[in-house]
Amino acid sequence: MPSIDNLNEIQQMIAVIFGVLVLASVLFWTMGKFNSGPQVQELKTRTKSWWVMAAIFTTAAVVHPAVSFFAFGFLSFAALRELSSISKNTRPEDRSVIFWAYLAVPVQYYIAYMGWFAPFLIFIPVFMFTWIPFVLVLKGHTQDIARSMSVIPTHLMLTVFSISHLAYLLSLPELPQFNAGGRGLLLFVVFLTEMNDVFQFTWGKLLGRHKIIEKVSPNKTWEGFIGGLLSTIATAFFLRFLTPFNEFQVLGAGLLIACSGFVGDIIVSAVKRDFGLKDTGTAIKGHGGILDRIDSLAISSPFFFYYTYLLCYS
Amino acid sequence: MHRIVLFVVYRMLMGPLLRILLGIKWKGAYRELKQQKQFIIVANHNSHIDTMALMSSLSFWQLKYTHPVAAATYFGKKKWLGWLTRFFVNTILIKRSHEGTGPKALDVLQKYISKGHSLIIFPEGSRGEPEKLQAFHKGIGVLLEQNPQIPFVPVWITGTGKILPKGALLTVPFEASLTFGVAQFTKAKEVQDIVEEVKNAILNLNATFIP
Repeated sequence: MPSIDNLNEIQQMIAVIFGVLVLASVLFWTMGKFNSGPQVQELKTRTKSWWVMAAIFTTAAVVHPAVSFFAFGFLSFAALRELSSISKNTRPEDRSVIFWAYLAVPVQYYIAYMGWFAPFLIFIPVFMFTWIPFVLVLKGHTQDIARSMSVIPTHLMLTVFSISHLAYLLSLPELPQFNAGGRGLLLFVVFLTEMNDVFQFTWGKLLGRHKIIEKVSPNKTWEGFIGGLLSTIATAFFLRFLTPFNEFQVLGAGLLIACSGFVGDIIVSAVKRDFGLKDTGTAIKGHGGILDRIDSLAISSPFFFYYTYLLCYS
Repeated sequence: MHRIVLFVVYRMLMGPLLRILLGIKWKGAYRELKQQKQFIIVANHNSHIDTMALMSSLSFWQLKYTHPVAAATYFGKKKWLGWLTRFFVNTILIKRSHEGTGPKALDVLQKYISKGHSLIIFPEGSRGEPEKLQAFHKGIGVLLEQNPQIPFVPVWITGTGKILPKGALLTVPFEASLTFGVAQFTKAKEVQDIVEEVKNAILNLNATFIP
């Protein structure tokens, strides 16, 4: 049997992910034997969805890159569809324009797959931000048009532009002395972002006293945030074999992921509250499903991408 | 042969397409529906997608003997269109009550029911303004009054009017859902009361959220 040192970085990381999941499953299962309150149930369902997520992400990360691009593209598409469906801010006549927004998904992912960096940067922020208002104008209904002009491209930013950075990590050129490559970076940012959510949740439950923004997200506390931040930075330090960073840079990456993940989380929380999906404190089952899963990733992945790009690839 | 064509069209192509691409969710007692022998599915109507989605909910054995009921004036306008809908959608085309002569619509439907077939009926008559329930026609009441031994299956459909509204050709993905109630027999005896009962059964599915 190969020892963990003989495995390459990606295999090590996958072993870590599934190790954590097995540990969590056993822990919550045992907790459920002694105490079957709603909180343990919540933890159990969360772990279940983590298993599914982990299986999808690791499969996508180890098989042929084209499959990963397809998987991330579908994730973006499903998130965009969800956001367009729950949004109160588009008009019924915007259907055909929303169709254009959907068409941007394969284009953006094709550009990412080909590794065309400048088109990747400008396609949504420059081109789609012009094209969507333009086709809206051609339809000729000016009542509330400014709202649609700003909302539809913003949906694209939040669900397509952001997540496509995860895929672009796989198109980054190879660096000498760095074996894990884009797949390593991908596993690093996804794992840390999700672990940051878990750390924040756990520290908040253990020590949480002082609420940060009660009106948006009543479960977010300073104790949870800072505990999560420190835990994430520590985890990042141990996982630096997945990155081309030195010891200091990897701490910075951990800090960046923890902060941007938190920002993404509360932005999506606030959006969902606005759409009336969070009034009771718990999201309606079957709604906000995908957005809930990618909220922190939507912000942390572009931030992490440019941090890495500017430090190591430019 | 027809059975296999319908199975391929609805269970292998349409069903996955509606789920994965358009984001339609099936909720409630949709699995129980597959156990039913004879039934009348009653649903609100916003879009052609409704018929496609309801057909995709049926089992291999049910598909051939379940007929969506549609207006002859709409689908029977051209001969080939009538043939296509009959073959691929398995529809029964009926004349609306105020239109001309010929066998009465309810007699046609009764004949199918007597043969043991099932029906899909949209009592609103046509796709109205999206997401707004219109008045129910009384045909469903008459059918259930004459056949109290046949259960009706209420289905509440929401969101499909955004995917493909009346008059549109472009199909745009949006999340939508079909909520199935359990098959039930009418308790009311009068036609008008049965219509009310069916309508309430559908509306209750909207109110009581079933994950």
